[in-house]
Amino acid sequence: MNVEKIRQDFPALDSKRTRKAIVYFDTACQSLRPQVVIDAVNRYYLQEPACSGRSMHQWAAAVTREVDRARELMAKFLNASRAQEIIFTRNTTEGINLVANAFPFRAGDVVLVSDKEHNSNLIPWQMQVKQRGIELKIIPTCPDNTFDMDAFEALLDKRVKLVALGFTSNLDGVTIPAGEIIRKAHRVGAHVLLDAAQTAPHHPINVRALDVDFLALSGHKMLGPSGTGVLYGKYALLESLSPFLVGGDTVANSTYANCEFLPPPEKFEAGLQDYAGIIGLGAAVEYLQHIGFDTIRKQEALITYALSEQLKDISGLKIIGPADPALRGGVTTFYIEGVDSHRVALMLDQMANVLVRSGQHCVHSWFNARQIKGSVRASAYFYNTIEEANILAECLRKIRKVL
Amino acid sequence: MFCIVSFIVLSILGIFSASNRSLAKEALDCVLRRVTFRPCTTGFDEKMKAKILGVVIMRSETLARLLNKYFEALAWAFFTLLLASSIIFARGLYLFYVTGSCNGLNQAAFCVFDPSGANNQVSTFAGCLNGEGDISKLTLEGVNLSDFPTLQPESAYRVVLIGCYTCDYTRKVYDSVLTLVRRYHTQLVFLHYPVNEKNDFLSRLGYCAYQQNPEGYWRLNEELIHSDKAMLSELTNGPSLLSTLKPETNRFLEALVSEAGLDAGRVLTCANDPATEAAVQRQMNEIVKTNFYGTPTLFIGDQVFVGPKPYRVYAIALKGLFFWLRS
Repeated sequence: MNVEKIRQDFPALDSKRTRKAIVYFDTACQSLRPQVVIDAVNRYYLQEPACSGRSMHQWAAAVTREVDRARELMAKFLNASRAQEIIFTRNTTEGINLVANAFPFRAGDVVLVSDKEHNSNLIPWQMQVKQRGIELKIIPTCPDNTFDMDAFEALLDKRVKLVALGFTSNLDGVTIPAGEIIRKAHRVGAHVLLDAAQTAPHHPINVRALDVDFLALSGHKMLGPSGTGVLYGKYALLESLSPFLVGGDTVANSTYANCEFLPPPEKFEAGLQDYAGIIGLGAAVEYLQHIGFDTIRKQEALITYALSEQLKDISGLKIIGPADPALRGGVTTFYIEGVDSHRVALMLDQMANVLVRSGQHCVHSWFNARQIKGSVRASAYFYNTIEEANILAECLRKIRKVL
Repeated sequence: MFCIVSFIVLSILGIFSASNRSLAKEALDCVLRRVTFRPCTTGFDEKMKAKILGVVIMRSETLARLLNKYFEALAWAFFTLLLASSIIFARGLYLFYVTGSCNGLNQAAFCVFDPSGANNQVSTFAGCLNGEGDISKLTLEGVNLSDFPTLQPESAYRVVLIGCYTCDYTRKVYDSVLTLVRRYHTQLVFLHYPVNEKNDFLSRLGYCAYQQNPEGYWRLNEELIHSDKAMLSELTNGPSLLSTLKPETNRFLEALVSEAGLDAGRVLTCANDPATEAAVQRQMNEIVKTNFYGTPTLFIGDQVFVGPKPYRVYAIALKGLFFWLRS
């Protein structure tokens, strides 16, 4: 793999243009975009800036074709049975909220989540506890933050209607054994929703092989434009759900008293969509497939390993998650005892333009339970290099000497 | 403490940059919390500290370590310095406004608002006088001013100006002084001293003009102040006898006197009269008693202004800091 050649596809990494060499280790928040994605977005605004699926003119027809194509590409990317199982959203959060609000819960139904869920996969269920009287149960993870199958099985019973889990954790990069979890959940009649925001950019996903019921992801973490996302749902399930947001383009017909909803995915895509974003997301999917997940995982593993090896020697620095870097994907989250994580992140930025995430990464519950104030997260992608990992490690060594 | 220093510095920088403006806003929030004894929860101080450390650490780890260790103490030191320099700056600004120099009245040391020191420059003369250059010796005590031209003699308050028609600094300030005394209806006593002149002809001319018609004298004064210096030098740099003047200089002089509404013939005859020379010499002797050492020198109350000060400085001396509120 020629990383330098790949980096040329990303204008944000062009130090001649940006006038500084940025070391971008914040992909878990949002990835950089290749030129092909930027071009696809620009093309929409420059050539066919029209509505999809509504007007009959030539521009509208062209946009409709492009949006349909993006849906097909995403369906193939996830190996969905049909394109209609793909609902475009703004992000993973919206996808999870859609399921949380549309799923036919009854009071007393149980939803299971793990103890290190992103707020996007925790707060929507807390709201359902208050609004519909469901019960939210937390699956504790193992001490090394890997999934505790025994704890999960102990909580599984007939009352569990939905298991909502982060497929890959944004906290430590750990990917759960989704296939086994889904099989066990289905055995008790529970449905499974996977938050794949951190999985889709790094691992191939086969929703049919997984037999997952719902899966939400964000486009902007997988090279797509900001504010794009997808909710996958088994078609039969989607048909049975009531729509969450309603309005324009969700109905076939309406009277003053009633309306006739369109079939999925339209009934879940209310209002005018982000066509430029959707088309850009399609381009991102094509680009990802062109790079290939083997290449992606190989490069991420190299960087995480190099970084972990160097961080081991820094006194007082603790890595969150399993000791084996191979289990953490491209994520290396750490904290230094007694040192504010934001300070470390700001210093890295000042010292060598190293961009990392600091704080509690929207997993406040996990940090609060362990009384850890925060951490620094360096999340690598295939466009990062070993040299960049070395720069980060060297900066951290200096910081440790000073703070 | 760091928040306060940052707020002040960033507020100033914020005038020029929007990013600094937003940081200044954060600093203000932090300051408001601190002054109300609440913790600064904005993280502003942490953020700035990290940014500073991030820059320093790349140059010297030792310095960064010291900075990290003594950050609060350094913030206090900077705050103290900032406070002290702010006070000095405010004092300088006030003094400049009130006296025309950051350093105080008649102080010629460098002032950033008057870098060339123009407000303190004077036209000096070659000969020595008692107390030359000593501001503390400038006085009107024992000086008989009754023989000198006085504008608005009915006014109770008196302003005394020692000046010279051909001196640049007197010329610069004369109109301001005239405006001042007219606006605030104050006496003006004008003491002409030929600082850069080789003879006292213009003093005698003024003396005679005043004897003939005081109002005409003030008109002549203004014309002399505003007239061409080269023409005046014909009158002041040679022998004072009219007979020796070039015809065009003579015509210039006659026109000057006539335009002031005076009888040119009588005034010029008087100026050449030996009795006039004696009277002018008496006046010179009185002026010397003031111990002045250059022009313009202006006495307003118990204050003496040496050099061409801005109008506001005279007005403040006369009517106080808020002179513009008074008629």
